[in-house]
Amino acid sequence: MEKLTYSEAKKELEAIVAAIESGELDVDALTEKVKRASELIAFCKEKLTKTDEELQKILDEID
Amino acid sequence: MISTQQSSVSLSELNRLVRDVIRENFPDTYWVRAETSDVRQNRNGHCYLEFIEKDPVTQVILARARGTIWANTFQMLSTFFEGETGQPFTSGLKVLVRVSVEFHEIYGFSLNVVDIDPTFTVGEMAKNRLLVLKRLEEEGVLTLNKELPLPELCNRIAVISSPTAAGYEDFCDQLAKNPYGLVFYTKLFPAIMQGEKSEPSIIAALEKIYAYRHLFDAVAIIRGGGATSELNCFDSYLLATHCAQFPLPIVVGIGHERDVTVLDIVAHTRAKTPTAVAEFFIGHLARSFTELVDLEKRLVTESREYLQQEKFKLSILSKEVYHLSTGFIRNQLASIRETAFRLKHLTNRMIQFLQQEEKQRNLRFTHAVKQRLQNEAHGLLVHEQYIRMVSPQNILKRGYTLTWKAGKIVTSAAKLQPDDVIETLFWDGKIESQVKKSKE
Repeated sequence: MEKLTYSEAKKELEAIVAAIESGELDVDALTEKVKRASELIAFCKEKLTKTDEELQKILDEID
Repeated sequence: MISTQQSSVSLSELNRLVRDVIRENFPDTYWVRAETSDVRQNRNGHCYLEFIEKDPVTQVILARARGTIWANTFQMLSTFFEGETGQPFTSGLKVLVRVSVEFHEIYGFSLNVVDIDPTFTVGEMAKNRLLVLKRLEEEGVLTLNKELPLPELCNRIAVISSPTAAGYEDFCDQLAKNPYGLVFYTKLFPAIMQGEKSEPSIIAALEKIYAYRHLFDAVAIIRGGGATSELNCFDSYLLATHCAQFPLPIVVGIGHERDVTVLDIVAHTRAKTPTAVAEFFIGHLARSFTELVDLEKRLVTESREYLQQEKFKLSILSKEVYHLSTGFIRNQLASIRETAFRLKHLTNRMIQFLQQEEKQRNLRFTHAVKQRLQNEAHGLLVHEQYIRMVSPQNILKRGYTLTWKAGKIVTSAAKLQPDDVIETLFWDGKIESQVKKSKE
């Protein structure tokens, strides 16, 4: 998860939602996918709403 | 030496001469095309500047003249000029001015501005813009920055602004107080945003950002709004070509309403003010956020619906299993019952049949026995009759007699002698007699 970029995560998430909507998954796969999707959503939301102190520090140090 | 001294003139005399010649030969005012340079205003409101003319190709200065605009004229003209062109009267502008040619003994040659034609400047600016745009297009860079995709996660913004500008503060405030709680990272790359120095200053800032480009998603070039300000520098070819080819999307908000500068055209996105630039970034990130929330909603509803459907299918299946199995059991029971019934029926019939058989056998047996008995009885009767027929009684009845002598049966006449007493048995009684004689 750490190495994923936002757009990679988003793309994967979109693919999962599309797969679920297509109704082609079985229950076991669905459970797996929903779990993965929840992780991706949390990851993306964090990127959008949580300050990355490390990044902030790097930016502050540019002179 | 002396003659030379006698024919000499003082500087003031010379300058007066020059002044008179000029006055005489340039009695009118003249419309002059020139470029402004080094425009400044002193305490009294007088405007001093330089008029220059450059070679359009080599940019080498071909002519130069000092210029003055007296305070009362300048006040009037500058307002008029700004109103018509949308920008103040500053350096670097191509202007058409009506001047009187002056020569002052102390201050020398100068052009005193009495009127200005702003439409010329507007036209020149437009012409210049078109030329720059055409050149950018010919070089194939005009739309490069516009073609860059704005990343979905676009919240690391390199800001080019004057550090003290109110617009910069507005920009940062606007981002910080966005209503969605979105995170933005800004880094200021200070630059001069006004006047001739702005072009190299902004380019230097861009070059610095380029060195750190991996830390940013976009660049914002902003300048405080308020009064109309000088725009000429934003039509610069050099700045435009740098911006057009910059690897990060550039969003500009240089605080003007009226004209579109070359920078506005080459930038990825143009907004009117720094606040509007901030709004643009907020809007973009908010859309990403909304998309995420939508995906989440779709995920939840879809998977919930899916599970409900599965549950429903399962309940139908379990019902089916129940129905089918109870049906099966019922059928089996019915079949067993039927079999049992048939078994019973068959058994009964079998028993009946057997009983019937038995009866018939019995009947046949009885009949046979009877027959046999009858036959036997008949045989017996025949025997009896025969026996009866052959019985001594019957024989006696038919006239035969039995003869005893001394208790012994006499079967031959030769055994008897005259005078022997014999007993003769008839069927109905005995007689005693005496033999008289034997006969042959």
